[in-house]
Amino acid sequence: MIDQSAILLFVAVALASAVEATEALTILLASGITRGWRSTFEGALLALACLALIVVVVGTALIHYVPLFALRTVVGTLLLIFGLQWLTKAILRETGFKASHDEHDIYDKEVATLSKEARGIRGARDSLAFAVSFKGVLLEGMEVVMIVISFGLATKSGDQLATASLGALLGVGVMTTIAAVVAQPLARVPENYMKLGVGILLTVFGMFWMGEGVGVEWPLGDAFLLVLLAIVFITTLGLIAYFRRLHEREMEVYA
Amino acid sequence: MSKRSAVLKAIKSFFVFWKDFLVGDSPVLALGVLIILIVAYLLRYSAILAPLVTILLVLILITFTVWQKAHPQTAVSSRR
Repeated sequence: MIDQSAILLFVAVALASAVEATEALTILLASGITRGWRSTFEGALLALACLALIVVVVGTALIHYVPLFALRTVVGTLLLIFGLQWLTKAILRETGFKASHDEHDIYDKEVATLSKEARGIRGARDSLAFAVSFKGVLLEGMEVVMIVISFGLATKSGDQLATASLGALLGVGVMTTIAAVVAQPLARVPENYMKLGVGILLTVFGMFWMGEGVGVEWPLGDAFLLVLLAIVFITTLGLIAYFRRLHEREMEVYA
Repeated sequence: MSKRSAVLKAIKSFFVFWKDFLVGDSPVLALGVLIILIVAYLLRYSAILAPLVTILLVLILITFTVWQKAHPQTAVSSRR
C-alpha cells in the first residue's frame, strides 16, 4: 500500500522545487541571453552540485547522529516557519495586499543590470554570468534543500530522503523542460497557487512533526495529517475570502 | 583587511544569511512558532488539549500575520 504521507511529501517537495526553479530559471535566462550560455550553465551546474552535496552530506550525517525526536522538533519548527512564510505571502498576493510576483519584470531588471556591465574577451569565461547564475541557483535552491532534508529525515523510518529528492528533481525537471521549450520567463505559471499549495503542505507537516517531536500524540496517527490538511486548507480559503473583500472595500474607500 | 577582521566578517555574514533565511521579514511569525513549540511541549501529556491548542495557535498565527502584513500601521498603533 502506498503511504499517504509519502505522497503528500512528494507533492510538497515537487511543488516547492517547481516554484523555486521558476524563479531561478528567470535569472538563468536573463544571464544566458545577455552574457552567453556557457558561463551561465557552468555557474548553474556548480550550484546544483553544491546543493546535491549538501543533501547527501548533511542528510546522511543527520540520519546517523541525531535522535529522531530532536530531528522532528527542529525539522517541524523549520517547516512550520517556512510554511507559514509561504502561506501568508501567497494569501496576501491572492487578496491584492501584496503585488504579484512578475517574472517578466524580474527578467527585464536582470537583463538591464547584466547588459550594463562590460563583456570580457570573447570565448573566455564570463565571470559575471557565472557568479549570477551560481548565486541565483544556490539561493533559490537552498530552501528546497532544507525542505528535502527535512522531509527526508522526519518520517518515521527516516528513509524518505530519496522520495523527497525525486520530488525535487521532478519539479526542477518539468520547469526546466518548459523553460527550454518556450525560451522566455515562465510568467504564465500559476506561481501563487503553487505557493499556496506548498505553504499549506509545509504548515501541515511542520505542525505535525513539531508536535510529535515534543511529545504531542496526534489522534489517528499519520492519518491525522489529512485532517490537518483539511483544517489548514479551509482556513486558508476563509482568510482569502475575508481579506479579498476587505481589500476591495478599502479600494472603494480610497477611490 | 587583516585576517582576523576577514574571519569576523565571514562569521557575521554567515549568521546574517541564516537570520534572513529563517526569520526574513516576519520576526513575529518566527517568534510565534517558538511560542507554539513551548506551549505544545508544556501540554504534551494532555491527549486532547495538546493537539487542539497547537492547531488553534497555528491558525491564530496565520490570521494575525496576514492581518499585520495587510495593515502594518494599524498593527503598530494597536500595540501602543
